[in-house]
Amino acid sequence: MSDAALHPGAMAVRAPVDYNMAVVRKFTIAAMFWGVVAFLVGVYLAAELSWPALNLGYSFTNFGRLRPVHTSAAIFAFGGSALFGTSFYVVQRTCRARLWGGEALADFVFWGYQFFIVMAALSYVMGFSQSQEYAEPEWHLDVFLTLVWVAYAAIFLGTLLKREESHIYVANWFYLAFILTIAVLHIVNNMAVPVSIYMAKSYSVYSGVQNALIQWWYGHNAVGFFLTAGFLGMMYYFIPKQANRPVYSYRLSVVHFWALSFTYIWAGPHHLHYTSLPDWTQTLGMVFSVILWMPSWGGMINGLMTLSGAWDKLRTDPALRFSVTAVGFYGMSTFEGPMMSIRDVNALSHYTDWTIGHVHSGALGWVAFISFGAIYYMVPLLWNRSGLYSTKLVAWHYWIATLGIVFYITAMWVAGIMQGLMWRAYDQFGFLQYSFVESVSAMHPYYVIRMLGGVMFLTGALIMVFNLVMTVRSPSTDTKAARDDGAALPAGLAVAGE
Amino acid sequence: MDIEVGDLVVGLLVAVLGLIGLVLASGALDDEMYLFGLSLAGFAALFELGLIRRHFDRREAVRVHAAAERAGEAGAHV
Repeated sequence: MSDAALHPGAMAVRAPVDYNMAVVRKFTIAAMFWGVVAFLVGVYLAAELSWPALNLGYSFTNFGRLRPVHTSAAIFAFGGSALFGTSFYVVQRTCRARLWGGEALADFVFWGYQFFIVMAALSYVMGFSQSQEYAEPEWHLDVFLTLVWVAYAAIFLGTLLKREESHIYVANWFYLAFILTIAVLHIVNNMAVPVSIYMAKSYSVYSGVQNALIQWWYGHNAVGFFLTAGFLGMMYYFIPKQANRPVYSYRLSVVHFWALSFTYIWAGPHHLHYTSLPDWTQTLGMVFSVILWMPSWGGMINGLMTLSGAWDKLRTDPALRFSVTAVGFYGMSTFEGPMMSIRDVNALSHYTDWTIGHVHSGALGWVAFISFGAIYYMVPLLWNRSGLYSTKLVAWHYWIATLGIVFYITAMWVAGIMQGLMWRAYDQFGFLQYSFVESVSAMHPYYVIRMLGGVMFLTGALIMVFNLVMTVRSPSTDTKAARDDGAALPAGLAVAGE
Repeated sequence: MDIEVGDLVVGLLVAVLGLIGLVLASGALDDEMYLFGLSLAGFAALFELGLIRRHFDRREAVRVHAAAERAGEAGAHV
């Protein structure tokens, strides 16, 4: 008896869907471009901190103006483009539906978002800023971003609504949480009154400690929903695809989603320990941060265990190695974060470079690595190539970038703890043992090591760009078989919601 | 070929944004708003040109496709 007779419908071929992959390709290119920009500016800033003369005496090369260029380029430009691109890729494939709203709306989201990034960066170097971390753009840019974001949300939701699959795959839940929560955070935190409609300067409607609380409710949830939930969506789609295994526990992924979404939103006040914020609010933030450890590790275990029976692929597929190492860094950062949120630990770590190390183990190890893994997976499919130009170059990228992160975060751990200990040291007369400048001077070797770590990470990214450009252009990766639109996928066809 | 509703709605929205950009630039009281306003107008103009180009590209593709089909049918009758 034939397979078709045993399983009626198994041989039925569904009509191919004409996915909008043009916008995914654009966001992928943008992610690579902005990644290099973000890492380059980061290296320059690290050099400025090591050798302050590199400020050059110009206002626009000053650390204070370039720093938000670096953070915005890394988080919103690189991370954002990777999230927009992968979310459009995942939602179409798992819903078997073309993006809602037509090509023009998707193009508006792409070009509008790029326009916002460029205008925000220009405004920072010109000295215009709300002076709120990760929320630096002034009111006019915030309004423009809101328009782009609403269009993005409409496309994503519209695609979900017109899906051909009955189930909404878990990756889409995480992407949706990212889109909706960031919309709420952005609007609430940026409520401001402009001095004039013709002036960039504005003043927040919140004042004093309320402003601080709203800002860190936003700031921490930018980490929680932009840098975590969105990238978890990426993890839940691309790791099963790369490993050709279904998610280890789908139930755990749903528990992970709800636990994370509920818990993250309360954790912001841990950024304001020992401030004029009421004590109980600080404690609330601390407690929820510690609780957050569990759902985070549940997700990490789910990601890692998806490789059950496929661990050998780590030897042969360095792109998968990126994704799995990213989950490892996710686990590490989500242990370190709750620990640093404990008030007594925070007394040592706050305002020191330990925080910078923590942020970068998450940003480089988790966000960048999971994006690299996804990009390496997507590029041959998006450009209809037989595979990557060079697996060896991916391995080189992997090891150089990993070593770079290790240099970076260990230097910052040592520097940060040393700073904290120097600032709190007293002599036998009860005076501070060290002046502030002595602690700055003691940081110099660690700042140089941090910069070298950044150079290594940047080098790895340049190798990736070369490899991917060659993947698209080289005749060695040419293929006649059209694989992009579902005709034949290399791995994981039957997993990750498709 | 008809203009798609999506293209029309987005095109109108972006045109309005471009006009707002010009208004902001015309009354700007600082460098940032002047730069933003002019850039927004420039962004809108380029976006509209892209929409127009894509519309005609699509129309051309339909025309070429129809011509190829007619040629195929004529060949089959010979």
